[in-house]
Amino acid sequence: MNELSIDRLRRKVENINNLPTIPEKIKQISEIIGKPNISLNEISAFISNDPALTTKILKMINSAVYGFPGRISLVSHATVLLGLNVVKGLLIGVSVSEFMEEAMSGLWNHSLACALTARILAQRKKIPEPEEVYAAGLLHDIGKVILIQSYRKEYEMIMNRAGDRGTTVVEEEKGYFPVNHGIIGGWLAEKWHFPIRLSEMIKNHHDPMRSRTAPKETALVHLSDIIVRARGIGFPGDYSVPVVNPRAYELLNFSESDIKETLEEMEDVMELTEEPSSL
Amino acid sequence: MRRVSVDSLRPGMKLAKPVIKDMTTLLGEGTELTDRLIAKIKNLTIADVVIDAPREDGITKETLLRQLDLRFQDRDTEPYMALIKRLVREHIEDIHE
Repeated sequence: MNELSIDRLRRKVENINNLPTIPEKIKQISEIIGKPNISLNEISAFISNDPALTTKILKMINSAVYGFPGRISLVSHATVLLGLNVVKGLLIGVSVSEFMEEAMSGLWNHSLACALTARILAQRKKIPEPEEVYAAGLLHDIGKVILIQSYRKEYEMIMNRAGDRGTTVVEEEKGYFPVNHGIIGGWLAEKWHFPIRLSEMIKNHHDPMRSRTAPKETALVHLSDIIVRARGIGFPGDYSVPVVNPRAYELLNFSESDIKETLEEMEDVMELTEEPSSL
Repeated sequence: MRRVSVDSLRPGMKLAKPVIKDMTTLLGEGTELTDRLIAKIKNLTIADVVIDAPREDGITKETLLRQLDLRFQDRDTEPYMALIKRLVREHIEDIHE
């Protein structure tokens, strides 16, 4: 595995759409998200044409995550009320939840908790696009899913090693792959034409100061990942908390009460959220 | 409170929110579920209900704090890690008061 070159790995990731294991729906949704000038009407029409997707979207909107419990019954209302970016994030969320959970049990809960934490912290910092940070939180570990799909045996060895040695998977990935799961998720995001800032947040969530277009937002995803792991919500493949990047921590400069109130708010929402199997 | 799918309902659980179908309240808040009621709920074609269950059912504060220590093993000497650990510990202590 050590000889696996970056080029070969990247080609494999970029051909992921050809893998039979990637559901057709995710491919279609990734196209929708990647369209630069898509309108609300187009998105509503896309969702409404698919009854299963409509049900999932309406369930999610009427759950505690979005805070309009039991009030919205039409996709067109939902898209107008929530706006384009929120709906895009929502589409990503419902489309990857089952896929993620199939690859690693607990990864969806970890990702959802990270997304919620990042969104709450972004709102506290008055970051202009909290929904973009939320989407990045949902997708930050998509690279792990790709690695498990493509190199299951190796990734299981990585997870076992991390468990035995009290390390994290990102530390153990170094012995097997030329880049970490963040970079791999970023490649996929680029391949799917996601907004560049979203790709950067996914790519650099373990090395936030490398982000050129969205350093604060990337730092938010980085810190949220650490807070959620510290709290032990979901399962991201290992049991240790990665070390926070001190410059990222200082850049965000949250107070102690910011962090504690965010934990509380996030957990209240998580408690009322369904298990991914029933989404 | 916790939202659970109808398949994971067990007798003895209590509803934290009423079960409503077609604008009619069928089972009120606080209802204790029995096998018969669970069968009824399953027939309603609803996916999930909100039950009254403590956070982290059955896990004690001591276990949570021990797991927290393990997750931070050899890491709390790094900058800001002891601070993050303390905030999470205080949070766990607050909700398990």
